[in-house]
Amino acid sequence: MTAPFGRSALLQRLRGASIDVADLREVADAVLPALATGGLRIAVTDRRGGAVVVLEEEEHRQAVALADLAEDMAAGGVPATTEGMAAALAAWVAHRPVTRDAARRCGIAVLDWADARRTALRWTVAVPRGRATVTWTPPADADPAGAERIRAAARSRAAEVPLDLRVEGPVGLWSHLRLPLLATAVLAHPDRLLAGLAEAGLDMSDMHVVVTPRRPVACAGAGVAARLAGQANEDQVTLPLREFAALPWV
Amino acid sequence: MSALPAGDASSPVLVPHWLTGADRAELTDTIAGALAAATAHPVATIHLEDVLTELHVAAARDAVWPASAARVRLATGWDADVLPVRLSAAELDSVLALPMLRPVLRARLAGGAAR
Repeated sequence: MTAPFGRSALLQRLRGASIDVADLREVADAVLPALATGGLRIAVTDRRGGAVVVLEEEEHRQAVALADLAEDMAAGGVPATTEGMAAALAAWVAHRPVTRDAARRCGIAVLDWADARRTALRWTVAVPRGRATVTWTPPADADPAGAERIRAAARSRAAEVPLDLRVEGPVGLWSHLRLPLLATAVLAHPDRLLAGLAEAGLDMSDMHVVVTPRRPVACAGAGVAARLAGQANEDQVTLPLREFAALPWV
Repeated sequence: MSALPAGDASSPVLVPHWLTGADRAELTDTIAGALAAATAHPVATIHLEDVLTELHVAAARDAVWPASAARVRLATGWDADVLPVRLSAAELDSVLALPMLRPVLRARLAGGAAR
């Protein structure tokens, strides 16, 4: 599960806030039952080492010590208030792993960083969940044909994702207004991308695309794309449009 | 993995000039006027066209990666419409050579990286 709380531990130590485990237990008992919807089961159980939150959903099961959660929340800058802890618990539950069934039913093909070095991209299956987007990781023993069917469906679904196109002179910027990771869904269907840009008056034979996952996708001719990306201080990958289809899957 | 790596030794150094929305609109109009009049040297014309491109790219860059300019604006107290427009020395020279460039904007551009 990815850390949903944000902000570095160092910054938080400087701020000096902490989350009391007993307070968090009280909030967890109050808010977690309402978050257990569909096939998701949530329980807070007492064990010898302290209380543990257990999430169970289809093939996934995880147990996290409440003390560890409190520490992560403090490191992530969560305010030590009832509202702050409740919101953090909801965000934590929303970031739980995606089940195979959810990936099959509502996965969308998007690009994300291949690893923590943030130098390469991989296609992945993203599942919208409230205000978050969570990606599906096929288990090591996944049936390859089944995983391929899920990816193919996700690629088809990417064509239907509503995206916003903004034109800045020679640059087209694709974005998703609510879920930033979904912006790269446009690259699953280059024809859609080209048709949208042509309709907006942008027609370029040497189309390059500048991608930073979770940021708008920038499309421009090679020279303009180089100017845009070459001056960026942020991690990004720039490739000719035709090369995105060949990128590997997670 | 970038096909177009940053910091390519063959590309010229681009220096940021922090301009307001009004500055950028005025610079766009001034350059467009010069290009329409076709009075600039052909080489300068190419540089001026690149400056017009950069004026768009600066806005696109801020839309894709807003954090870095936002940090500068926060530190300086500049308004939200102030963006870094990154120009090479040749591009800047071609702009400064325009006789119709207003003195205020000329001074701002000639002042280097600071707004």
